[in-house]
Amino acid sequence: MTQQLAIIVLVDVGNALASRTLDDNVYLFDNMKLHGSEGEGTGDLVTVLNGSYWNDGSQGTELVLNWLPYSLGSIPPTVPRGYQVQRARQSDQQALRELAELGSAPAGTGAGSAAELSRIRRNVGTPVSSTLRAGGPAGRKVLDVTGQIVTDAGASVHSVPAPIITDIVGEAVDQKIMYPAEYGSPDLVTDGWYWSATVDSSRPGTYSYTMDIQIHDLVERDGAWVWQPVNLSCESRIKVTSGPKRNGFTKAGMGPLPVAPVTFPL
Amino acid sequence: MKPKVNIVVLVDVIGALSDDTLHNGNLSIVDDSALRSTGQGTTELCTVVSPGQVVGWSVLAVDLQTPVEIRSITFLDPEGRPAAAEPPAADGAPPAGESSAGEQLDLDDWTAVVPPWMTPGVPYRYRLELRMHEGPHSLFELDTPALLCGGPQN
Repeated sequence: MTQQLAIIVLVDVGNALASRTLDDNVYLFDNMKLHGSEGEGTGDLVTVLNGSYWNDGSQGTELVLNWLPYSLGSIPPTVPRGYQVQRARQSDQQALRELAELGSAPAGTGAGSAAELSRIRRNVGTPVSSTLRAGGPAGRKVLDVTGQIVTDAGASVHSVPAPIITDIVGEAVDQKIMYPAEYGSPDLVTDGWYWSATVDSSRPGTYSYTMDIQIHDLVERDGAWVWQPVNLSCESRIKVTSGPKRNGFTKAGMGPLPVAPVTFPL
Repeated sequence: MKPKVNIVVLVDVIGALSDDTLHNGNLSIVDDSALRSTGQGTTELCTVVSPGQVVGWSVLAVDLQTPVEIRSITFLDPEGRPAAAEPPAADGAPPAGESSAGEQLDLDDWTAVVPPWMTPGVPYRYRLELRMHEGPHSLFELDTPALLCGGPQN
């Protein structure tokens, strides 16, 4: 089988932050239902990996797993990566334009100015500070999932950064059943990184593994809003099987091509 | 003589499933025969082989995360009918050269030896059957590729 396997890790970030656990807040989905995966769309996914071996015992199929973390309650990952920065810049430019208009307004409209200023301040929204220690995405403002500027970050519902897988560990890794690693990727939907693993299918069985996942909480610190990383983990399983390779024509060993020994009219 | 000729079937699985055809650029076949095969990269590849060579077919999905497997390879008679059309066995086993549904097609290795009884210079067309996932529209057939025996080579 040459098909690569994808496992989507969909995190309900809002509820995970509230309960500080990924239990019941993660939905796993893979593209291997065809080969017997169970529990798609739940937190209890068993990914089936059907391997094969040649008659000399060597591995017949290369199995490659890919993990894709997504967030429930975020701006969709398919919008361009610069979208959030662009929205922040747009809102600043709009505020500057409105301030200029307000400044050039005729005198005597002072009563309205206070209300106008307050409206402009609302439209400016909530910038998120970048701190090296806190990490997390910077240079942006707090947006809701429709891309609108959020004025009161503490009270309103806002979009959260996508979860990040920081490590994949556990039984399947310790027993050298799968070899996960993080790779650079030209696909910015995954922030330029993704976790992938190759699998040794020579030891069939069900093995668990743990994903360490970082999500981000918007907190106010020293008068500024920052994304504070919160590290949690969740468990999943792989079920490895292995079957013998066989000849497609004979279902046994290799033979002659199944062409009838007939003479074609020339 | 090259001991083995590889025939690689490249498939755009999503294109084939949405167009409901292997044509329209959804499938391309190439081989590495040292002899002069024709139709490289098309659905009408005619691979030139020699008796005693091993021919191996494999399928590659253009989108690596889509499933496609070879389900059967059946040679056709001059009228385009399956030449080795045997009645299905009484026990329900699939006829030779075909996998039954639900079987692990990824275990199949589609290789065979070119027999000495092929008439040189005559294209032997074959039916390539592919399976993409397992739904009611998952099976596709292509009757256009062929093998041609170029005669013994040194």
